[in-house]
Amino acid sequence: MRRGSLLQLLLLTLAAFGIGAAVALLIPWMPDAASKQAGRIWFTYWFATWICLGIFAIVAAVLVYCLLKFRVREGDMRDGPPVHGHTTLEIAWTAVPFVLVTAIAIVSAIVLAQNGNAGKDPLVVKVTAQQFAWQFTYPNGQSYGVLRLPKDRNVKLRLTSYDVLHSFWVPQFGQKQDAVPGQTFSLVITPTKVGTYPVICTELCGLGHSLMRSTAIVMPVADYERWYKSAGAAPSAAAGGGGNAAAEQLFKTTGTCAACHTFTPAGTTGKVGPSLDHLKEAAAKAGQPLDAYVRQSIEDPDAYITPGYAKGVMSGSCCKQLSSNQVDQLVHYLVENTK
Amino acid sequence: MTEAAHVHAQLAHGHDEHAPTPPPTGWHRLTHPGWLRALWFTPLFASFWLAVTCLIRWAADWHPIWAAAPIVTVSLVVFPFGFLFGIGGFDYWLYYMSGKPTRPESHADHGARSWKDYFRINPDHKVIGMQYLCTVLFFFLVAGFLALLFRAELAKPGDQYFNPQTFNVLISNHAALMIFLVIIPGFAALGNFVIPLMIGAADMAFPRLNALSFWLLPIAGIMLIAGMVTPGGGPSAGWTCYAPLCSHQPLGQVFFNMAVQWAGASSIMTALNFLVTIITMRAPGMTFWRMPLLVWANFSTSLLVVLATPFIAGSQFFVMFDRVLHTNYFESGHGGYVIGYQHIFWFYSHPAVYIMMLPGFGIVSEIISVMSRKPIFGYRLMALSLLAILILGFSVWAHHMFVAGMASWLRVPMMVTTLLIAVPTGIKVFSWLATMWEGRIHFTTPMLFAVGFLAMFVIGGLSGIYLGSVPIDIHASDSYFIVAHIHYVLFGGSLMTIFAGIYYWYPKMTGRMYNERLGQLHFWLTFFAANLTFFPMHYIGLQGMPRRVADYADRFADFNLFISIASFGLGASTIVFFYNMVWSWAHGPAAGPNPWRSMTLEWQVSSPPPIFNFDEIPQVVGGPYEYGVPGARHAIFGAAKPEPVPAD
Repeated sequence: MRRGSLLQLLLLTLAAFGIGAAVALLIPWMPDAASKQAGRIWFTYWFATWICLGIFAIVAAVLVYCLLKFRVREGDMRDGPPVHGHTTLEIAWTAVPFVLVTAIAIVSAIVLAQNGNAGKDPLVVKVTAQQFAWQFTYPNGQSYGVLRLPKDRNVKLRLTSYDVLHSFWVPQFGQKQDAVPGQTFSLVITPTKVGTYPVICTELCGLGHSLMRSTAIVMPVADYERWYKSAGAAPSAAAGGGGNAAAEQLFKTTGTCAACHTFTPAGTTGKVGPSLDHLKEAAAKAGQPLDAYVRQSIEDPDAYITPGYAKGVMSGSCCKQLSSNQVDQLVHYLVENTK
Repeated sequence: MTEAAHVHAQLAHGHDEHAPTPPPTGWHRLTHPGWLRALWFTPLFASFWLAVTCLIRWAADWHPIWAAAPIVTVSLVVFPFGFLFGIGGFDYWLYYMSGKPTRPESHADHGARSWKDYFRINPDHKVIGMQYLCTVLFFFLVAGFLALLFRAELAKPGDQYFNPQTFNVLISNHAALMIFLVIIPGFAALGNFVIPLMIGAADMAFPRLNALSFWLLPIAGIMLIAGMVTPGGGPSAGWTCYAPLCSHQPLGQVFFNMAVQWAGASSIMTALNFLVTIITMRAPGMTFWRMPLLVWANFSTSLLVVLATPFIAGSQFFVMFDRVLHTNYFESGHGGYVIGYQHIFWFYSHPAVYIMMLPGFGIVSEIISVMSRKPIFGYRLMALSLLAILILGFSVWAHHMFVAGMASWLRVPMMVTTLLIAVPTGIKVFSWLATMWEGRIHFTTPMLFAVGFLAMFVIGGLSGIYLGSVPIDIHASDSYFIVAHIHYVLFGGSLMTIFAGIYYWYPKMTGRMYNERLGQLHFWLTFFAANLTFFPMHYIGLQGMPRRVADYADRFADFNLFISIASFGLGASTIVFFYNMVWSWAHGPAAGPNPWRSMTLEWQVSSPPPIFNFDEIPQVVGGPYEYGVPGARHAIFGAAKPEPVPAD
C-alpha cells in the first residue's frame, strides 16, 4: 500500500469517526437517567458506543475509499492484484475485536452485578400485572394503580402476573423485568430524581397491550412518608372498604376495569371492551335486569357477549382475583352510577 | 473417477435417449399425478379423516362432536397431505414401498419445456429454484403489504384504521411471513438453483424430496394467510407467539402453529438435501477447500437447520397440545413452565438468525470477489468463520431472554458467547473489505446491493453489540430499538443479499440480462428508504417506545409519521424491482453464458443451463476465485484423461 493512500484513508477514518461522534453526542439518545441503575447502564452504553464508533469509522472509511478509488469503467477487463490473504492482518482483526468485546463483556458484567444489588433494607413493593393494568402493593397492604417511590432509597420490586407475560419498564429508570404468571422476580431501582415517569408494558400481552401504561412518581422522602401514612389511614378498596370513592378506586386498580372500558363517571376511556356508559340499554338488549346483567358480565363474561366484541377476552384475563365482596361493591358502584 | 462422477457421466449421456412421457388420456387423466387428481382426492381424503375424527368423538361421547379446535387441527394435517398425494408428491415412494414396479423415470420429466412444467411436481433443481423464488416473491409482496397497512395505522397516535386485534394480527403475520416464507426459503431458492451447478452435479441428491419440500411451502404460506381471516380472529401473539398468551388466542392461532410445522418440515428436508448433495456429489477435484463460499455457507446453514428446526416444531406442537389436548406444558396454574416456551423457541430461533444470514454471507462473498476481480481475501478463514458462527450460534439463545426471568446465572455466560460471535462476523466484514481493496470494482446492481448490505449489516451488527451487553439490553429490549436492530440485519442484511443474489444469477436463470439502470434505481431507492425507515427507530426505542403497540405516547408522533412515510417509499421501491424482473424476462437482451466473467462452475455452462447442467463433467483443478492469477483455472472441461482425485 502506498503511503499517500494510507494517509487519505486515515483522514477518511477520522472524518467518519467525527461524524459518528457528532451523531452520538448531539442527539440525546438516552432519556435523562432518573435512577442509579440507569446511570450505570448509560455508562455501559457510552463505553460500547466509543468502541463501536471506532469500528464503524474504519469500515465506513474503507468502504468509501473503495467506492471512490477502485471503481473501474465498464469494459475494463483487467483483473486486480491476486492477493489471497495476509496472515498478520487476519490475526489482527481476529484478536483486536476479541479484546474489545471482552472489555465490553467485563464492564457489562460488573454493571449487571451492581444493578441487581438491592443493598440493606430496601423498600419492597409487590407489582402485579394483569391484562391490562398494573397494581402496586406496599408493605402496609395498600394497593394502587400508580407507583410512588421515595427519592434515593433502594426499592426492590417483586413482580408477578395473574395471566400472561407482561414486562415492567420505566425508560428513565433503565430497568426492565418480565412479570411471569406463577413466578416472582425482583427488580432493583434507586430513584435519584423527583418527577413523574411513564410505566410501560413492553411484552405483547393482548388487545390492550399498547394501553397498559401507568405512572411512576418519585417524591422527596418527607413527602413520600406523609403520603404513605395518610394513605394507610384511608379506607382501602383492596381491603373491601365502603363508599363511592373506594369503589371507584377498586374499579380503576384492583378490578382493572378502567384499562379496557370507558366509564364516564370514573373518567376512564378504555376502548378494548364495550363502553359502560349505556348499561341500561345494554341490559335491555340482553333481556336481563340491570343488576343481574352487570353481575353476570363480571362473574361469567362469556355468558353474553356484546355484539362486535370477541369471546374469551375478558374471561381470559380479569375478575378471578376479585373477592365476592369486591364483586358486590363493583356491581353496586356501576348500577348506582348508571343514569 | 469417483463413484459420484460416474453417476454424473451416466446422467449426462443418458438423458437424450428417453422420449417425453405421452400425456395421459381418458380416465388416466384423473389418476395421473397432477392438479386434476388433487382436485378430487384432497376433499375425499380430508372428509375421510374428518369423519373418523367425528366418529371417535361420538364414540367417546365428547361434545360437541363438531368442535372447532380438533376439526381445524385435523384439517390442517389432512388437507395438505391429500393435496400432496394428489399432485403426486409421494407416488414414487408409495409404488416402491408397496412393492409395485416403480414407473421408469423418464428423464424427459426433468426440466421445464412450457410454463405448465412449473406447476407440477418437478424434480429438476433449477425448476424448483424458480418455483421457490416466485413463491417467495409473492409472499414478499403480501408480507410487505401487511407492513404498509400497520405503518398507516402507526402514522398517528390513537386508533385510525384497525382495532388492536387486527393490528396484532398484521404485525404477527408480517413477521411470520417474512421469516418463514420469504427469507429462509428465499435462500433455499437461490441455493437450489445454484448449488448443484456450483459443485458440478447434475441435480440434487434427492430430486423427488426436493420437489416435495418445495410444495410444502405454498401450503404453509396459504395456511398463515388463511389464519388471518379465520372466524373468531387470527393469530395475534406476535411471530414469537409467547406462551401463555398464544395458548388463549382465537382459533387462527392453530393455523399459525401448523403453518410453522409445514414450513419447518420443508426447510429441514431442503437442508438434508443440501447436505447430502454437497458431501457426496461434488465434481472430481472439487475438494472442500475448493468449494465456493456460497456452498460453504449453505453447508453451515443446513447443519443449523437440521439441528435446530425440530425445536420450533416442538414449541409449536406443545402450544397446540395445550390448547387442543389440554396438556399443560406452559400453563403456570397447572404446573407448566412458562419460560420453558422461550427456551425451546429461542433454541431454534436464535440459530435461525444465522440460518437467515449465513447464505447471504455466501452470496456476498461470490459477488464481491467477482466484481472486484480479486481472489476472496483469506478464503480459509472465511470458511472457518462460518463454522465458528455455526457452533457459537447454538450457545447464545438466552440473550433473547435477559429480562424474561430465566436463571440469572445464565445471563453472563450467554452475554460472553453473544459478544464473541462478533469476532467471526468481524472477520468476514474485514475480509470483504480487504477483497475490495485495490480491486478493479464494477459497481453493477448486484455489487451495489452487496456493498449496501455491508453498510447496513455493520450498523445492525454494532447495534447487536449493544443488545449483547446485558445492562444495555435490559433497557433496550422489547423496545423499538429491537425493531430497528432486527430490520437492519434482516432487511439490510438478509433481504439485500437476496436481492443481490437475484440480480447476480438473473442472467443464469432466465438467459436474459436485467435492466441495469432500473436495477441501480431500485438499489438507491431501497437503500435510502430502508435507512430512513429503520434508523429513527433506534432513537424512539431508547427513548421509551415499546414494540408491538397499536397506540403510543404523543411525543413519538412526529417520528412515527416520518417512519411511515419512509416505509411507503420502501414499498414503492419494490415496484421498480418487480417491473424490472418481469419486463427483462420477456424483453431483456440475451446474457450469454458468463456475463460477469466469473470462474465458478455455474457460469461455465449455457444460460439457462442444460437440463442436466453439464454435458460433460467438469474436472476441478483449482480454487474458485483465482482472479488475476495468470493462467489459473477453476475447472477444465473435456479433459482427455481425468487426473487422479484425492479422496476426501
